[in-house]
Amino acid sequence: MSETLLSMTGISKAFAGVQALKDVQFSLRKGEVHALMGENGAGKSTLMKTLIGVHTPDTGEIIYKGEKVCFDSVLDAQEAGISMIFQELNLIPHLSVAENIFFAREPLVNGIIDKRSMEAEAARLLEMFDIGVKPSDIVNTLSVAQQQMVEIFKALSFDVEVLIMDEPTSALTEREIDKLFELVEKLKAKGVCIVYISHRMNELKRICDHITIFRDGTYVSDHKLSDITMDEIIAKMVGRSLDNHFPEKTSVVTDEVLMSVKSACRYGVFDPISFDLKRGEILGITGLVGAKRTELARAIFGADRLDEGQVIVGTKQVKASSPADGIAGGIAYLSEDRKLNGIAVSMSIRENMTMPSTDKVSNAAGVISYAAEKAACDTYIKKMEIKTPTIEQLVSNLSGGNQQKVVIGKWLFRDAKIMIFDEPTRGIDVGAKYAIYQLLDELAAQGVGVIMISSELPEVLGMSDRILVMKEGELTGMLDCKKTDQEEIMHYATGVKNMYKGQREVA
Amino acid sequence: MSEKQKQMLQKLAALAGLVCLFIAFAISNEYFFTVNNLMTIGLQTSTIAFIGIGVTLPILTGGIDLSIGSVVALAGVAAAMLVNAGAPVPIGMMFGVLVGALCGTTNGVFITRLRLPPFIATLGMMMIARGIALYITNAAPVSGMPESFSTLGNGALFRVVEVGANGFPIVKFPGIPYPVILMVFLAVAFAFVLMKLRVGRYLYAIGSNEEAARLSGIKTDRVKVFAYMCSGALAGLTGVVLASRLVTAQPNGGVMYELDAIASAVVGGTSLTGGVGTIPGTLIGAFIMGVLRNGLNMNGTSFFVQQIIIGGVIIATVAFDQLRQQKKTSKPKPVSKTTKAPK
Repeated sequence: MSETLLSMTGISKAFAGVQALKDVQFSLRKGEVHALMGENGAGKSTLMKTLIGVHTPDTGEIIYKGEKVCFDSVLDAQEAGISMIFQELNLIPHLSVAENIFFAREPLVNGIIDKRSMEAEAARLLEMFDIGVKPSDIVNTLSVAQQQMVEIFKALSFDVEVLIMDEPTSALTEREIDKLFELVEKLKAKGVCIVYISHRMNELKRICDHITIFRDGTYVSDHKLSDITMDEIIAKMVGRSLDNHFPEKTSVVTDEVLMSVKSACRYGVFDPISFDLKRGEILGITGLVGAKRTELARAIFGADRLDEGQVIVGTKQVKASSPADGIAGGIAYLSEDRKLNGIAVSMSIRENMTMPSTDKVSNAAGVISYAAEKAACDTYIKKMEIKTPTIEQLVSNLSGGNQQKVVIGKWLFRDAKIMIFDEPTRGIDVGAKYAIYQLLDELAAQGVGVIMISSELPEVLGMSDRILVMKEGELTGMLDCKKTDQEEIMHYATGVKNMYKGQREVA
Repeated sequence: MSEKQKQMLQKLAALAGLVCLFIAFAISNEYFFTVNNLMTIGLQTSTIAFIGIGVTLPILTGGIDLSIGSVVALAGVAAAMLVNAGAPVPIGMMFGVLVGALCGTTNGVFITRLRLPPFIATLGMMMIARGIALYITNAAPVSGMPESFSTLGNGALFRVVEVGANGFPIVKFPGIPYPVILMVFLAVAFAFVLMKLRVGRYLYAIGSNEEAARLSGIKTDRVKVFAYMCSGALAGLTGVVLASRLVTAQPNGGVMYELDAIASAVVGGTSLTGGVGTIPGTLIGAFIMGVLRNGLNMNGTSFFVQQIIIGGVIIATVAFDQLRQQKKTSKPKPVSKTTKAPK
C-alpha cells in the first residue's frame, strides 16, 4: 500500500508568462484513490497534463516505476499505463461506441477492420458497468453522461495502471455517480491507481484514500483522508474558512406571479407541464439525466418550439417561437454547456457581453458605440467581479467561473425579467459557486424571477424556495423546499412517487 | 501582447508581403512602378476586390459562395440586354446589380430555410445562373450597347491630357479609373459595416458560435441572408463593370472567379471556419494576387507558370498563418532530455 508508484517533484510550468504551476510535488502510492483538490485554476488539471505529455514541465522531474520519464504524447503515456479522462469529451460523434473505444487501435484481419471482434470486445467492457449503451450505438445519440462513461471505457481498454479522472461526475446524476464509484472500487481492487479531480466534497469521503491540496498553482499539503475534516480541506483550498456553503436568503417570496407556464408540451419530448413563478422566488428544477429539464427550459425561452401551451410573462403572452421572441418577452436562458451554446469563445468579453443587447449600445442607424460598450462592460465586470486585465480579453482565456460570470453579466445587461439558469455551477470551484449563489439570491430579491436547473440536490435544497421534480419528460412533483429532503426528491425523480398521476387520469 | 496587437501584427505581415512584392517587381522591371502601371494594377485588382469583399461576408458566418463567377456572367448579360432593349444605361446597370443581389438572396433563403449546406446551395446556384446566362443569350456575347455603357469600366477621374506639338494627345496623368474609386468606396463602406454596425458584429458572432448567437436573440437567418445578398450584389456589380469595360457581356465570362474571390479572402487572413477576417485583409489579399499577375506578366512569365506561382503563394500564406498559430500551443523543447517511458 505504501509503495510509491509515481512521484513528481519540483514541477513548474508557465504559459505565456502566467505561472500555472510553481514547484509542485505529488506522489501516488500503489492501489490508492488519490484526490486532487483546489479551486479552479489551482493547477490540478495542468499538473496531470504535464504528467501525461500534453504539456512539458519547465522544471522538475517525474519518476514512474522507479524510472525517470518524460512522455511525448498521450499515446506514449497510455502505452506506459497512464490514461486520463479529460474534462471535455474527446469522442468522435459520428462513430459508434466500439469504434470510439478502439479508435486508432482497431483490431485488423488482413488489413480490414474486424468489426465483429471489436464490438464483442467493447460489449465485454460495457458489461462491467450497466449504462444501457450498445457497442453499435452512435456516440452523438447518447446523453452527455453516457458519453462520459464511454470515455472511461476507452481508458479502461488500455491496460491501465494509473487512471486520471478530471471532474468525471460533473455531468452525471446521483445514480450514475453511484455506478461510477462502484466501478472505481472494482478498479481499485484490481490494483489500479486512480487520481481523482473533483470539486464535490461529498464524493471524496466515499472513494478517496488520500488527498493533495493545491492553491493558485502551488502545493499546499497532502493528507490521509481519515486525518482531515472537510472543513479543514476547504480552509486549506481557499485559504479561508467557509462556514456556510450557501448564503443566507434575503429575498422574500411574494404572491405576485411573474411568469406562468400553462400546459407547455413538446410532442414526444415532454408532457404538458404547468407552473407559476412568483416574484422573489427561486424555483429549482431537478431530475435525473433524461428528465428533459433542459428541453423544458429551452422551449419556454423559445430556443425550441412548443407544440402546445402558453408562456405568460406578467400579463403578456410570449410568442416564443425563437430566442429573439423569448428575449423580447423578458426571458433569458443561461445554457448548461457554455462553450457550445453560451458564449463565443473566440470573441472578446466586450463582444460577448453586448451580444444580446446591441440595440442598447448603438444608435438608430445600427452603429455600435465603443464608448457605450465599454461603459456597460466595465459596470458588469465590476459587479460580477470578473477577473480580467481588459474588456478585450478573449473569453477562451478566462476560467470556467469567469466565463459563467460573463454569461450572467450579458443577461443582466439585457434586463431580463426571468432568468433560467441551467446548471449554473457546473465545473466551477467552491468560492465562485458561493458568489453565484449570492447573485441568484440578489437577483430574486430585486424582483427577477429565477429558475435554477440543477442535478446537485444539496444545491437545489440550499438555494430554492420550491422545487419542480421531473422524470423523463413528466412533472412528478412540486415540493416546498423547507418541507422536503433529498430522499423525497429522489422518490419523485425516480418515479416512485408522482403527485400528478391521479389528477391526470381523472382529467 | 494583447489580441488586438497580434491581429494588427498579422495584418502588417500580409501588408509587408505585399510591399516586398512591389519592391521585387519594381527592381526587376523599370516600368512596373510607374503611375500608368499602378493604375492598371488598381483596375485589374478592382474586380477581384469587389467579389473578395463580397465573399468575405458569407465566409465570416462559416459559409461559402461558389456561385460568384456565374452570377458575374448573368448580371453582365442581364444589364447589357436591358440596355439594348432600350433602357437607360444607369437603370440597366442597376438591374445587373439587382440580379446579382437576387441570386445571393436566393442562396441565403435556400441555406436558412431549406437548411442546405452553403456549399451545396451555392453550387446549385452556380449551375443555374450559368445556365440562365447561356440560355437567354443563346451562348452568344451581347454587344452593341451605346457608348455611354463603357464609361463605368473605362472612364477615369482627374485624367489630364495635353495636346502635343504634333497634334497627338499626350496623357500627362491617366486618371483614377472609376472601378478603383468604386473599390475604395466599397472597401471603406464594408469595413465600416463589419466593424461598427450591429449586423457586422452579428456576422462575426454567427461564425464564432452560431448557437450562442441564436440564443442571444440574434436573428441568425436574416443575418445570413444579408451576407449572401451582399456577396451576390457585389458579384453583380463585378459583372456590370466587366461588361462595361469590354462593352460586351460574355455569358461564358467569370468562370472560376469565385475561387479568386475566396483566395483573396483567405490570403488576407479570413478563416474558412468563420468568425475571423477583415475587409482590409481581403483587400490586401486581392492586391497580392493582382500585383503578382501584373508583375509576372511584365516580366514575361507565361500564363501557365503564373498559375503555378499564384497557387503556391496561396498555399504558402495560409500555411504560414497556420504554423504561426500552432506555435502558440505546441510544447516547447524539454529543459532536460530524459529517458523514454518504460514500455
